[in-house]
Amino acid sequence: MSVEVARGEFLIIIGLSGSGKSTLLRCINRLIEPTSGRVVFAGHDVTAAPPQELREIRRKIGMIFQQFNLVRRASVLTNVLTGRLGYLPPAWALANYFPAPVVDRAMANLERVGIPEKAFVRGDALSGGQQQRVGIARALMQEPELILADEPVASLDPATSHSVLRYVEELNKRDGITVLCCLHFLSLARRYGTRILALKAGQIVFDGRPNDINEARFAEIYGEDAIEVEIR
Amino acid sequence: MAVEEISPPRRAGRARPTLWYRSWRVYLALFAVLLVYAYGWRVTQIRLAELWRGAYLIRPFIGALASPDVVTREQHVQRGTALFYYGGERPAAAPDGGPRLALSKVTGAIGDRVTAAGEGFAPNRRGVLWWENQVGQRQQLGSFTTDAQGRCSLTFTAPEVQGTHNMVIAEVLIGEGPLRPSPTLLVVLDRMVETIFLALMGTTMGVVLAVPLSFLGAKNLTANLPAGGAIYGLTRTFFNLMRSIEALVLAIIFTVWVGLGPFAGVLALGVHSIASLGKLYSEAIESIDAGPIEAVTATGASALQVVRYAVVPQIVPQFIAFTIYRWDINVRFSTVIGFVGGGGIGFVLQQYINLLQWRQAATALWMIAIVVAALDYTSAVVRERII
Repeated sequence: MSVEVARGEFLIIIGLSGSGKSTLLRCINRLIEPTSGRVVFAGHDVTAAPPQELREIRRKIGMIFQQFNLVRRASVLTNVLTGRLGYLPPAWALANYFPAPVVDRAMANLERVGIPEKAFVRGDALSGGQQQRVGIARALMQEPELILADEPVASLDPATSHSVLRYVEELNKRDGITVLCCLHFLSLARRYGTRILALKAGQIVFDGRPNDINEARFAEIYGEDAIEVEIR
Repeated sequence: MAVEEISPPRRAGRARPTLWYRSWRVYLALFAVLLVYAYGWRVTQIRLAELWRGAYLIRPFIGALASPDVVTREQHVQRGTALFYYGGERPAAAPDGGPRLALSKVTGAIGDRVTAAGEGFAPNRRGVLWWENQVGQRQQLGSFTTDAQGRCSLTFTAPEVQGTHNMVIAEVLIGEGPLRPSPTLLVVLDRMVETIFLALMGTTMGVVLAVPLSFLGAKNLTANLPAGGAIYGLTRTFFNLMRSIEALVLAIIFTVWVGLGPFAGVLALGVHSIASLGKLYSEAIESIDAGPIEAVTATGASALQVVRYAVVPQIVPQFIAFTIYRWDINVRFSTVIGFVGGGGIGFVLQQYINLLQWRQAATALWMIAIVVAALDYTSAVVRERII
């Protein structure tokens, strides 16, 4: 498969479980080593990058996860601060030192996602939606040009799903961050995406605008027996 | 509502199973088990009758457990003496002052029955009557208890000794002044402190070396390193080999190396702790949630930063719990490490037992029991708080 994503797009990847959505996202920042092929990000060949260059590429790519992946025992602020690690000398980690401007930026990002009062609460004391917002704040610390979102709302209820996706949409629209997002619900994909990519067994079966997915296309992507579930 | 018909399970090919007692295999197995235990009984030389026959040997110890040597008073001896000569010569008068001791006869021959009567002793005390021969060698004639007026009386047989000039001595031991810790208690306390610190130093040595090693022994962290599999295998083999050697054996080896004393014990406990803590730590690291590691790696953090911010916060409580647990084991173990010369309370306990000083041994045993139980309890409380 070959895909080119333009700067500023909100690309949504759909497909059955096991169709390769998560693998595709993780190949982009090489959390999974691709067995073959090339990934090029902003002119850098990610697949050929040596470790140091890879880290520099990674810090420009934010990532948010289905299970939020916060460090449960650490404070929310510390979780947000970890987003900045790529810019800091590794030795500072031994002393748990973050410079004041970085801490200020973390607080500002927490304010942006609407939970500044939770800064000193433990990560696992938050609700799912709040944890995902911490995840977004953590990605923001990287000043990313691209955000990879791996089913960011699959563990959340419909109302919370919308509020989380609205934050992601705002980053896309206001900050011009490109977003690659895996989703399960077509209704959410139509509502937020500017472009939809459908995968089936690792192959692209659809690439186009959200409104072009009709029932026939849907059956092709998800199989003949699938029924579309709406989430508003 | 449809009720599903429950049919009996089908038995393909085989008729009804035979009843267990009809199967010859059961009897064969039973016979084999009997043989094993019969042989085991012989090999380990189990002679239950010995428990009864030898009971008198251990009885003083049981009694001593009830009266460990813990406190003492200023000891003071009251002594009354009387002279007794063999062979008709009249002895000189015994020195005056203090309690008096009079004998029913003052000259006689070996084997005579003589009654000693004392007065002026402290009332209601136990005392001992001694026979001292011409060259000052003593032997015990018997023991007595003084009455309310401080008198005592005991009949004995004049013993067979060399020389003719003998002395009969009645001694009553009286304690005066306030109670104070006995010398045994002081020695035992001193050694207990040594024991606890032995465990502390051993555990610390174990922790300091096991923490870095445990990262190398965790599969999920070494997987991405170059030669990670080899590092993992080597570390785990080291852990397993070291763990399989008992700390007591290590202690013997180290006493040869660095000499008798607590340092050998520290080394033995330390090396053993490295291995067992390392294994526990590694397993704790392997069981952590991979999500945060993925998340922190994705931010462009280096390996050190990933360990510090994604691994360490997840393992700290378990590490603390394991460490307290190990320190607990080490305190218990350091009480016996003295048996092989590794210092600590075991060293004096062994001496007391070998010299049949049961009350002193009881003091040491009680001290061990109290300290170990107390540490056991505290560590349980602390561990509960942390996890």
